[in-house]
Amino acid sequence: MTTLWDTTGKEIVEALSAERRSTGAVAFGLVLTLVAVVDERNVRSAIDAATTASMAHPCRTLMVVRRQPEADTPRLDAEISIGGTGGPGETIVLRMWGRLALHAESVVLPLLAPDAPVVTWWHGEPPPHISHDPLGVLADRRVTDSAAAADPPAALHARAHDYRPGDTDLAWPRLTGWRSLLAAAFDACPDAAGPVTVYAERKNPSAVLLAGWLGPRLRSDVAVEDSAGPGITEVRVAAAPGAGSEVPLLSVVRTDGRTAVLSRSGQPDRTLPLPRRERGDLLAEELRRLDADQVYAEALAAAFSLTELNDRPQHRRHVWRDIAEAPSERIGEFLPGVSDVRATGGHTDPSTVEETAREMLAADRADQAKAAAAVGDTTAAP
Amino acid sequence: MAAAGYTNPLRDARDRRIPRVPDPCALVVFGVTGDLARKKLLPAVYDLANRGLLPPGFALLGFSRRDWGDADFSQLAMESAQKGARTPWRDGVWERLAASIRFVPGAFDDDEAFDTLQQTLIELEDSHGIHGNAAFYLSIPPPAFPTVLKQMQRTGLADSGDRGWRRVVVEKPFGHDLASSRDLNQLVDSVFTADDVFRIDHYLGKETVQNLLAMRFANTLFEPIWNANFVDSVQITMAEDVGIGSRAGFYDGAGAARDVLQNHLLQLLALTAMEEPVSFDADSLRIEKVKVLGAISLPSDLHAYAVRGQYEAGWLAGERAIGYLEESDVPADSTTETYAAVRLGVETRRWGGVPFYLRTGKRLPRRVTEIAVTFKRAPHLPFPVTDTQELGRNQLVVRVQPDEGVTMRFGSKVPGTAMEVRDVSMDFLYGEAFTESSPEAYERLILDVLLGDATLFPRNLEVEASWRVLDPLEAFWVGSQPERYRAGTWGPAGSDAMLRRDGRAWRRP
Ligand SMILES: NC(=O)c1ccc[n+]([C@@H]2O[C@H](COP(=O)([O-])OP(=O)(O)OC[C@H]3O[C@@H](n4cnc5c(N)ncnc54)[C@H](OP(=O)(O)O)[C@@H]3O)[C@@H](O)[C@H]2O)c1
Repeated sequence: MTTLWDTTGKEIVEALSAERRSTGAVAFGLVLTLVAVVDERNVRSAIDAATTASMAHPCRTLMVVRRQPEADTPRLDAEISIGGTGGPGETIVLRMWGRLALHAESVVLPLLAPDAPVVTWWHGEPPPHISHDPLGVLADRRVTDSAAAADPPAALHARAHDYRPGDTDLAWPRLTGWRSLLAAAFDACPDAAGPVTVYAERKNPSAVLLAGWLGPRLRSDVAVEDSAGPGITEVRVAAAPGAGSEVPLLSVVRTDGRTAVLSRSGQPDRTLPLPRRERGDLLAEELRRLDADQVYAEALAAAFSLTELNDRPQHRRHVWRDIAEAPSERIGEFLPGVSDVRATGGHTDPSTVEETAREMLAADRADQAKAAAAVGDTTAAP
Repeated sequence: MAAAGYTNPLRDARDRRIPRVPDPCALVVFGVTGDLARKKLLPAVYDLANRGLLPPGFALLGFSRRDWGDADFSQLAMESAQKGARTPWRDGVWERLAASIRFVPGAFDDDEAFDTLQQTLIELEDSHGIHGNAAFYLSIPPPAFPTVLKQMQRTGLADSGDRGWRRVVVEKPFGHDLASSRDLNQLVDSVFTADDVFRIDHYLGKETVQNLLAMRFANTLFEPIWNANFVDSVQITMAEDVGIGSRAGFYDGAGAARDVLQNHLLQLLALTAMEEPVSFDADSLRIEKVKVLGAISLPSDLHAYAVRGQYEAGWLAGERAIGYLEESDVPADSTTETYAAVRLGVETRRWGGVPFYLRTGKRLPRRVTEIAVTFKRAPHLPFPVTDTQELGRNQLVVRVQPDEGVTMRFGSKVPGTAMEVRDVSMDFLYGEAFTESSPEAYERLILDVLLGDATLFPRNLEVEASWRVLDPLEAFWVGSQPERYRAGTWGPAGSDAMLRRDGRAWRRP
């Protein structure tokens, strides 16, 4: 491991290639660069998760830790480790102080693995608008975690309005077990489904997504009700009205966060494993595929009554906010999730989020149209 | 049962996160006290359960001649799973699996026991909702096959009727020559329909073997040079460091060629040499494999190009190893080979003139399986001869096990002011090969059986085509003495001489 104090991006690039040579990691099967945006308090847990994920998908992980953006002098520290405890890939922890914290991309860009896809993952509170974060704009895939937000359903709401193909939220892979089980239950269930109720811990974003996934597919109304948790605790599917039965068609109950009981009318109950998963597993699932997840987009759209998320442009235009000029008391607004910001930013209300998202989308659509027109021009030219 | 025309609204081809999970079913294992069942099958079933890949309704049935109840079998299964599982141990997962475990005691010629088995399956249909779906795993000595199959026919176990599916899993050896494999195939196919028979070649369940297909057919880089214009020769090696252990009863009389060459090595050859299948499904793959297996030719001079050997006492990895003839239960005058090497040709336009060297042996220096494709030298080297003295032939090696991955060897300039070129090897490790928890071949294959996906299973035509290659070789060897080689060396001298004769040498894996 190489540690660099008060360093520059250039020194890090050199140290990385020296470290690669000395550890013999010359022909690594690197498949991507993972940029992890993480708060100082959570560096350890983020490294653990990234390590688990890199076991399956060898990658270069750049941990971006933003610290004290109000500090007067910018400063950069770095830790480089290859192989060993960091998993088979390469891990670089980048700590940025002062205004540099607001320009992390300047350090990250030269460190991206050449021509490999980039995935940006916000370990903590996700930014309401990814277009404001250059680390998100430069990525091919973006992974947020609305459950880590102060107000998870509001964060998921922002994700929906801000959506572009290639975004996902960890609330979605947290559902994979539930979705697999429900899909298996419906393999042999030709009876029409009636109203569905999802019981979950208060403000659980996965429950909202599950409702968005089930509703249109089963053509049923789905209600989300609070329960004591942990996470989602029950999905109950009533028989279709008029089927002459009060008994639910089926239900899946999980109260201990580990095992579920599947009950179906006319059949014995089954107990099945349905464990809550570690963050590393969730991340590994996200890194499996780097294209857009259309099924997620549809569930997200349905959950917030939006349409055509899948038709949005892939691209985001970076919306520059000159934060360097920003008054200190507003910095928190620009950097959600950084713990040592003294002044926390004002809360953004949903209608403002929607409004800003609409403007950004319009701008991106315009860019897309311009690009398409340009292509048309050249092909039409003699 | 799902009504005809019903499509599950929750399944979506675009949804790549939801894994394929089999229909509710039972897995019946015959010979559950055996080595294979304890070391591979039971741990694999636990791992599948742990990964959530078993269906909501599932039952595991053991059949063996022990005076046991369900609990005794459950105990054996638990110990085996704890010892052999890849995934972490979870009591909860085990308890649920244990609740679906049944044991039926009996010998294979015991009619009553099979009636009980049939009865147990019917009961499970209600209690575990398995819908009459069942897979039978014959983890038993090959001579017992006919007895067990006839019992299944008699009791109607093999007959799915309209209740669901019935499948059978057969382990190697698939006979000991063409005639016996045909008999076996006929017998199995008369009890089950051909599509319901799954023959296990666990090499095909390995990640790298499947990756070989991805490498060849998903890239533009390799396929254009994958032919006689560019390839000099191919070497396929499966080396084991172990001896025969306690398997003398099966091994003696069979030998390395029947045990490994006929199935694993020829399957690897087929995947290396076959043409591109029109799609990646079981039938298309089988068509291409059968074609290439049918095009294999033996050398006209078997004296020079087929070698067999038998290990004698020696030292291996710092320990003393006894010779084959001293192993327990091996007759002192046994002529069974523990090493076999042969040069084959593939008579197609793509491969005409390219030798395929295959070798396998026990008590070799290390356990390794690999496919090495050696390319021709560049037709002209614009460098002075002295500069390229150390430059060998380019090579591409698919490492099947251990250290799954790919190695490429090519010439590169030696750093410095002089223009010198020498070979460098670039190792490529990728993916879940790193992780302890990546699925074992048996896990993948059992899952595929339960899903009814035959892509990774050799069909009987392939088995017969392979015997057609091996039979003349075995006939040639009858009555001959295998050459001796010391345990811990890379096989008999004759095998090295075979390659030297062609101006080549075995690659040291
Ligand atoms: N072991 C391996 O790694 C391996 C590898 C590749 C292929 N195979 C193949 O897999 C199959 C099983 O191999 P294995 O090594 O597990 O064999 P094994 O250790 O000899 O076990 C055979 C099993 O069959 C049972 N059995 C034998 N005769 C019986 C009879 N008349 N009635 C009832 N049960 C009987 C045995 O029960 P008892 O305990 O009562 O004797 C035992 O459970 C064979 O076809 C073998 O060729 C094995």
